[in-house]
Amino acid sequence: MSDGEPTEPPTPQTGGADSAEPDDASRADADAAEPAGGGIFSGYGIASAVLGLLSVGAVVLGVIIWSAHRDEVAERNYLSRVMQTAAEWTGVLINMNSGNIDASLQRLHDGTVGELNADFDAAVQPYRQVVEKLQSRSAGRIDAVAIETVHRDLDTQPGVSRPVVTTKLPPFATRTDSVMLVATSVSENVGAKPQTVHWNLRLDVSNVDGKLMISGLGSIR
Amino acid sequence: MRNVWRLLAFDVMAPLAAIAALLMVGVVLDWPLWWVSGCSVLILLIVEGVGVNFWLLRRDSVSVGTDDDAPGLRLAVVLLCAVALSAAVLTGYTHWTKSDRDFKKDSREVVQIATGMAESMASFTPSAPTSSIDRAAAMMAPEQAGAFKEQYKKSSAELAQHHVTAQADTLAAGVEAIGPSAASVAVILRVVQETPGQPPSHAAPALRVTLTKRGSNWLVTDVLPIR
Repeated sequence: MSDGEPTEPPTPQTGGADSAEPDDASRADADAAEPAGGGIFSGYGIASAVLGLLSVGAVVLGVIIWSAHRDEVAERNYLSRVMQTAAEWTGVLINMNSGNIDASLQRLHDGTVGELNADFDAAVQPYRQVVEKLQSRSAGRIDAVAIETVHRDLDTQPGVSRPVVTTKLPPFATRTDSVMLVATSVSENVGAKPQTVHWNLRLDVSNVDGKLMISGLGSIR
Repeated sequence: MRNVWRLLAFDVMAPLAAIAALLMVGVVLDWPLWWVSGCSVLILLIVEGVGVNFWLLRRDSVSVGTDDDAPGLRLAVVLLCAVALSAAVLTGYTHWTKSDRDFKKDSREVVQIATGMAESMASFTPSAPTSSIDRAAAMMAPEQAGAFKEQYKKSSAELAQHHVTAQADTLAAGVEAIGPSAASVAVILRVVQETPGQPPSHAAPALRVTLTKRGSNWLVTDVLPIR
């Protein structure tokens, strides 16, 4: 470094400021990328200023890239949580037995929000019937869980479709995502061959104050 | 006052920005071993340089930022800082922004291909028995397409004999799992089979379509019922 040359008097900055003032001014202004008040820009000063601007631009871009990526990661984590919530809820639903039906329904009811919560009994009526019909020890298994990205409401013929609970965004919910689940439950009757029930479910998962709740339940068929 | 600005910009901010940039490259690359060693060496060099600079500042009351006789050195400091920051931004762009964009694009694309594949596979028209299977085979990886066609021909022969028409439409589809080169998509179809003289039968089969990426194209490797 050339700073340490003995020829340069080690004057304090205030002392040497008089002689160096004009040059100092122009260069400092150029270096700091501020408009100079009529000084002379040296080539080095201009180059430094340009690189300084480039650096500032890079920092800004870096912050943008970082925050965009952070949002993206948060979104993916959120969707994983949505799928997990839906899977847990469905796990309770498809493992309902005639023995634990009341406790299971209570747990399911606690995990819902909005219209589904209000009309819970009506909404789970078909599922309840299935469970009561089975009247046996059954075990359910979730085969596939996915965020539903393609959803086509094919015009179902009247009488064929099962009543689907449609919900708007419940109060206090910030967003709702649809999850599709494919599950199977196998019931084992003593002395009879095992009975298999297939479930194609669509669950709406809403974010209520950071807590994920089920706001819609329907069968895809 | 100007000297304070220069001191802040060249002796404090520039090395700090360079170190931050090196660390950001590490975070973006998720600290591979080569960068852990490279980054530590570079940071050590910067810290050493800053140390010497401040030692000389104490001795001579002049630093790299305030020395009027060394504009070249100052330019070099800014240049290194700018290079480090640009490198960090470029790595961030290629590893984060681009891969996030690819992820989104891939997610859309695989669902589209998988629904198309499932629909063609489950549809059947007796008047043109091979039309839908040819469409499906075109979406498959070449080595699987042959076996798939053979298998399909056997099952469709019976359908053709009975003049069965099958029409499949997607009810719901979503990505189960996706990586840079492989994906699995769940598709729920509604299949309406019509046999002459009988009422149409409805079914809602769930299929899992697995795909793989070859070059820039996603190809179907397998279609299996989920149960």
